[in-house]
Amino acid sequence: MFDIFFVQQLVNGLSVGFIYALMAIGFTLIFGVLNVVNFAHGEVYMIGAYAGWLSITIFAPPLFVVILVALAIGALAGFGLERIAFKPFRRFRDEASLKSKAMREATLLSSLAISIIVRELAEKIFGSNMQTIPQDYLLLTPIQIGPLSFASGQFLIFGLSIVMLGGLQWLLKRTQVGLSIRAVANNPMGATYVGINTERTIIATFVIGSTLGAAAGLVVGLYQGAIFPAMGFAPGIKAFVAMVMGGLSSIGGAVVCAIILGVAESVTTSFFAQGWGDLVAYVFLVMTLIFFPTGLFGGGRDRV
Amino acid sequence: MRRSLSILVIFIAIFVVLPGILAVVGGGYWFRVTTTIGVFAILTMSANLVSGTTGLMTLGHAGFYGIGAYTAALLATGLHWPFYLTLPVAGAVTACFGILLALPTMRLIGIYFAVATLGLGEIIHLTLLNWVGFTRGPMGISAIPGIALDGLFAASDMGNYYAVAITAALTAFVLGRLAHSYYGNALRAVREDDQCAASMGLNVVRLKIQSFAFACFFAGVAGALWAHTTGYISPGDFRFSESILILAMIVVGGLGSLPGAIVGAVILLGLPEVLRPIGDYRMIVVGAVMFLSILFLPRGLLGETSVLSLMRRQFGLAWDNAKQLGWRQ
Amino acid sequence: MTKQCRTLLATMCLAIFSCGAYAQNKTVAIGYQAPLSGEHAQYGVLFRNSATLAIENFNKSGKLPGVTIQLKFEDSKSDAKEGVNIAKKFSDDQSIVAAIGDFSSGVSMAAAPVYAQNKLAQLSQTASHPDFVKISEYQFRNITTQAYEGPLIANWANANGAKKIAIVAIQNDWGQSVVKYFADAVKANGGEVTETEMFNPGTRDFRSILTKIARSNPDAIYLGSFYEDGSAFLQQKVQMGIKQQVYATSSLYEQKLLDLAGPAANNVYLSTTFLVESPEPHVQAFVKEYEGRYGSKPQMFAAQAFDATNIVLNSIVAAGGANATRAKVRDALAATKDFPGVTGITSFDPKTREPSKILTKLQIQNGKYVLLK
Repeated sequence: MFDIFFVQQLVNGLSVGFIYALMAIGFTLIFGVLNVVNFAHGEVYMIGAYAGWLSITIFAPPLFVVILVALAIGALAGFGLERIAFKPFRRFRDEASLKSKAMREATLLSSLAISIIVRELAEKIFGSNMQTIPQDYLLLTPIQIGPLSFASGQFLIFGLSIVMLGGLQWLLKRTQVGLSIRAVANNPMGATYVGINTERTIIATFVIGSTLGAAAGLVVGLYQGAIFPAMGFAPGIKAFVAMVMGGLSSIGGAVVCAIILGVAESVTTSFFAQGWGDLVAYVFLVMTLIFFPTGLFGGGRDRV
Repeated sequence: MRRSLSILVIFIAIFVVLPGILAVVGGGYWFRVTTTIGVFAILTMSANLVSGTTGLMTLGHAGFYGIGAYTAALLATGLHWPFYLTLPVAGAVTACFGILLALPTMRLIGIYFAVATLGLGEIIHLTLLNWVGFTRGPMGISAIPGIALDGLFAASDMGNYYAVAITAALTAFVLGRLAHSYYGNALRAVREDDQCAASMGLNVVRLKIQSFAFACFFAGVAGALWAHTTGYISPGDFRFSESILILAMIVVGGLGSLPGAIVGAVILLGLPEVLRPIGDYRMIVVGAVMFLSILFLPRGLLGETSVLSLMRRQFGLAWDNAKQLGWRQ
Repeated sequence: MTKQCRTLLATMCLAIFSCGAYAQNKTVAIGYQAPLSGEHAQYGVLFRNSATLAIENFNKSGKLPGVTIQLKFEDSKSDAKEGVNIAKKFSDDQSIVAAIGDFSSGVSMAAAPVYAQNKLAQLSQTASHPDFVKISEYQFRNITTQAYEGPLIANWANANGAKKIAIVAIQNDWGQSVVKYFADAVKANGGEVTETEMFNPGTRDFRSILTKIARSNPDAIYLGSFYEDGSAFLQQKVQMGIKQQVYATSSLYEQKLLDLAGPAANNVYLSTTFLVESPEPHVQAFVKEYEGRYGSKPQMFAAQAFDATNIVLNSIVAAGGANATRAKVRDALAATKDFPGVTGITSFDPKTREPSKILTKLQIQNGKYVLLK
């Protein structure tokens, strides 16, 4: 029995999955290099959305200019974040520090602290309610294809994730910066020994990852019509989950897993209540980890 | 000699001086703050055993805390069990859940384990929220009886304080003995290099499950205390952000350090209360304090290494061959 | 203002003047707990604005000569832990004779036993959990519960010819009561509930729910959510080409909804207790003053807080002003009858302490709330 209803639910699930994927791409890139969770990625996402929103309300430029603004601010935010929350903790280079569990988790807390401060500041400056987005900029133009309904934003998000993924692959595989990023991700000490400027590479990673995060925040904010200080928290958790399910080192894997999560949520909603949708996504996560202890696409680096 | 003296000082401080000061100057408000800190101290100490000593970062502690709270609340409101029964039962139930949920995930290492616990915590939270028939869902459970015994004492600030203080002291004692013994050393060996530990004859999976079960037991007890001292619980009290809060307390205090866990709880719960006069800006200051403390003391305010020697000096804890202390395998 | 009320006020004034002689510049405080940081900070700010306005007006009015009412506002972060701490803090503070808050039912109910234990009256402007006022005789609220609103909308929808209705509500205590009372009323009228969907707080994508609802083919949709979720829901509904009429709870009466959802909000039916455009002079005075001070028109939540503060102030006056004690204020609160607030006339039921209010029917037309006759 073929039912168009399920195809529509699949479309809905895919669009949710791509939102998680957008965020997971930048998140995974940063994690891959430093091996630490960047709790502030959700705030970069939020900053991108606010930067775009501010430029819309002040200049009302065309959409691609808005995205460029978000990209630029995202790059700045990434640079600042790295300098403030991560750089200071690389001053300890002795072996005992490198091995110490407490030292390795320190950046986790520093990024968490920065994320609290940034979120609270955004609340103080802009208020914690959702910002009003001019209707022309909302990516919600209905597009009807046969019996299926789409929104313009869904295509943009889909296109953006393809571009991001492709661009990032190209950057990592074909450019000098990408080569050094991969080298540092593989072995920071080794990379230093062969003359790679580790500091600069790490900054580059943060800048690239954060621009991607900021663009994601803006596009998703416009698509959902929701730009508010805590907007990065919920997709941030899902992106984190998708990254781990995908096996940490694989950006493509994170994207695939983000989509699996989104589809799982929407398919659950069509059979049970929406409340259980998230639950099924997490059950998926735990099951995946039980059967693939290093994620679905991991394996390159089994012991972190 | 020194050992008994230190213990005596701490005992007097917790059971005489602190409640005395609170009763004289603080009133109900500071009693309540201290009680909350006590409950969270139990949570951080237990999470510290898993995350700090055994090195399995847990991001789902709030879920287990929730299981304990709901067990106690349902038993107390449905079957009218008194608190001295619900507390251990809540702990035991939570420990069973912990073992059950942890068994399949114990093969995982590092960040994979952390995310698996995140998933478990969220599964627990979403179940509490959506299983309306059993947990009353978002309606929460109200009218949970307080810490009281018929004919002996009624529910009061002082009663709550002593219940939490005694439980926290017991937790500290048990976890202290566990962490500063040969057993604790075995856990640390698992943390530093589990393959090496296994090759030296330690049963790594069993040690991990044991430490997780201990942690869940105490998280459950903390949940039960929270339910009884507050009187109303709802799934919102056991969200992911609470797990992060617990983790932040441990890291601020120092991963792997038992006194550090308590200090972390005191700072991250006490500071927002002390900062009430500055109103809207207090969370920014809390974030800044967190950041600065980790910037200058990345190992935590009371780092593990210094605490180990402190424990040995002051309490005679931590392995000491001459005194035959600790637990031999 | 009713005649009864005027006599009441007159007697109060008399009582105050008679005892005003020995009450020189005494401070009586009201505690107010609400989120000023965290995820619900936007509501706490509204409450603080309204409460400050109400208290300053009161102090200027000279209704209690020689007595200054002070507002003590504390941030609860929408966190039960903090809510309980604040309740203790307020209970310790002997100058506080009544407390208002918190925002969510969860935090209000966690704080409630503390207030009950310390015999301090607690009035929440928004807690609509059915059990909230049952905790003790010290809990009050001035918001209508779904027990009243649900059947009203159900009858309205049925009268408009909608027999099969789908319900969408947020998964919290309030959403539970939205679903329960509305579904019961629809069934009592012989209608049918085609689908009941609860969404977890924080949901931003309603397409799966919408697809599911559209499949059940209802005549209308009943939406129980806050305005932020509501605007996302309405926008996505339009985008997906779902044409069914939407009925909504009074929580969607908020200017921000119109800004956020734009044309997607048109045609929604809802009810409210507070109406910015109300011709009544005291409502207009409030709207004007609020807008003059804070730069935006007050909405439902702000009005609820304004009334809550005024009800407490009224009770303090009734309880003897400078001589008001916690017990007297509680009794005066319980005796609140026909209080003429900006959200309509409020009375507390002497037994259940549940408020009774009158709801007005509205429809959103061309980006405006339009009163339906």
